[in-house]
Amino acid sequence: MTDFIKGLDRRTILTGAAALAGAAALPRLAMAQAGPIKLATLTPLTGAGGPYGPVMVKAVKAVVDEVNAAGGVLGRKIELISEDDQTNPEAGVRAARKLIDIDKVSAIMGTWASSVTTAVAPLCWESKTFLATVSGADAITALPHQGYLIRTQPNTTLQGRKFGEFALEQGAKKVVFLTPQTPFADSQFANIKAAMEKGGGGAERLIYDDKKPSYRTEVDQALAGKPDALIFGGYTPDTTVLLKDIFRAGYTGKKIAFAYSVNAKLLEGVPAEVVEGIYTIAPSPAEGSSAHKRLVKMIGAENPDPYTTQIYDQINLILMAIAAGGEASGSAIKDNVRKVSQAEGGAKVDNAIDGLKLIAEKKAVNYDGASGPCDFTEKGDIADCQFRYEQVKAGKFALVKIA
Amino acid sequence: MNQLWQALANGVMAGALLAIPAIGFSAIFAVLRYPSFAIAGWVTLGAFAGWVANTKLGLPALALIPVAFLAAGLVGGLIENTALKALRPAGALTVAIGSIGLNIVIENLIRFAYGNDLRGFDLPLKPDLRFGGVRVGPQQIENLLMAVAIMAAVFLFLKFSRFGRGMRAVADNPDLARLKGIDPKAISLVALVLGCGLAGVGGVLIGLDTSIDPLTGYRVLLSVFAAAVLGGLGSIPGAVAGALALGLAEELALLIAPPTYRTGIGFVAILLMLTFRPRGLLGERAV
Repeated sequence: MTDFIKGLDRRTILTGAAALAGAAALPRLAMAQAGPIKLATLTPLTGAGGPYGPVMVKAVKAVVDEVNAAGGVLGRKIELISEDDQTNPEAGVRAARKLIDIDKVSAIMGTWASSVTTAVAPLCWESKTFLATVSGADAITALPHQGYLIRTQPNTTLQGRKFGEFALEQGAKKVVFLTPQTPFADSQFANIKAAMEKGGGGAERLIYDDKKPSYRTEVDQALAGKPDALIFGGYTPDTTVLLKDIFRAGYTGKKIAFAYSVNAKLLEGVPAEVVEGIYTIAPSPAEGSSAHKRLVKMIGAENPDPYTTQIYDQINLILMAIAAGGEASGSAIKDNVRKVSQAEGGAKVDNAIDGLKLIAEKKAVNYDGASGPCDFTEKGDIADCQFRYEQVKAGKFALVKIA
Repeated sequence: MNQLWQALANGVMAGALLAIPAIGFSAIFAVLRYPSFAIAGWVTLGAFAGWVANTKLGLPALALIPVAFLAAGLVGGLIENTALKALRPAGALTVAIGSIGLNIVIENLIRFAYGNDLRGFDLPLKPDLRFGGVRVGPQQIENLLMAVAIMAAVFLFLKFSRFGRGMRAVADNPDLARLKGIDPKAISLVALVLGCGLAGVGGVLIGLDTSIDPLTGYRVLLSVFAAAVLGGLGSIPGAVAGALALGLAEELALLIAPPTYRTGIGFVAILLMLTFRPRGLLGERAV
């Protein structure tokens, strides 16, 4: 020990100390540039959206691992941070604060419930963090998000119209729309009603409290006008209770619901006769597309749900936008996401790895994803998408049509 | 007219279910002089104990009542008598706040064990019976009968058993009861086991007709509290009267107000009662 100190003179020690101090004083930016690019998922792992979140995270992780194995983006590795929004705006905001303030991520993907997205979006645009969501409420893209938000889910104007048109197709003239108080209840009902009235029918609505263990009175009110079809606007837990009470009431008319509420999990939880014959409608993933096939292989699930296909597209787009912008900030993603999703004359790509290679060669790309063509309007909505219609037959979902 | 009869029928049945945990809440208040908001946790615990006994052990609906009573009564009685005991000298408000915390702990322990999903009991789902224009579920009728039987049993217990008389004596005048040689510690424990157990039974009855999740108890907490306040805190016949009045009020209000506002009725009931008749319908301490 003494020998070691003897070997060092005063000057050497001072130089060393100065060098150390200098290193510490180096701009933090340089350090950050060298570190990994931080991206986050904020999906529901619990609550009404609980069945979807874990698979969504798995899809994003698979893409990130693949891209990291291929050398990352801009020579940097991707670090993925996943938080749970509990399908609850309050928990969502807490998680988003952590992701933005502590982890300092450039983008958040996957917010599912419209109420969560509505609560989280302002934090994102104020901190210049990019937000990609799968929520459907119209109001979301109408927020003053300055371009920091895109969604891959068709908005409720489009969805409401499809519900109305489908009810008419099934011969229904009078429908009742049963919904809890969600951010999309209003716009959805307006569009169902418009579609019904166009075809000579009519629509009523009943708003209920989604945390009740029983809806006997609500069901009586809904059935008072003897409707031909009921349309369900809620989530799985409240729709489960509602369907049971409707069965008890002896209703035999048509039932139409969102595929995200009447799903495999709901079928498991109620007697078969309660759900028999119910129709479900969902934005349809681009089944058969090369991106969809890739995703199926990646996560090993035959039928990935629409949200998983959407978040798969979101992570691919964000990674390419970072590469195209040459910078890993939320602003760079905002400015470049449409350059990789819908560049005119760009080379068609279905995954980030191919896209990143082309971008490195300064070529334009146009991503076509697993959820659809992924072209965005100025407001952040997708321009086009297919819908999938299914019906529960003998306790299983049977495909009616994709249109 | 049919609507009115339907609302009355729904109200009586909702009130009867609410009355069971409300009696439990009042029994604890009468003897220990604190409002135990942890009652919501015991409602959920009882519901889950019943659910496990039903779906895993295959017990029929009637057998779930004692299971829920014992599970919620023993666990609840033990925990309230230990965890909250240290807070009692600091006054009712402190214990009440402690009980809110305790409720959050129980709720989350149940969530940890069983998750957030809604769970239904393994019972056949039968279409409702119709009496004229009024619609009633077979399970609801069964529940109503069970609720009435349980209430009768509680009244007999309070009226004729040694512990029941002891509870009434302590509720009426704790000092005098002690002078008479009634052990307040034993009576407190009996009141807690009875109160928590009844809450658990209420949970099972609610779950039989609907479905359960970790928030089952929390959702009825306000109504239970409102029923107890309405009837006069600490009065057991008052809790029954309050629960029936509240059940009817919530259902009748739906004839004029949208269903989203149903929960608000409980708040309005508490507000009106405390403003105009703070002692409740039947007055305090009328055990």
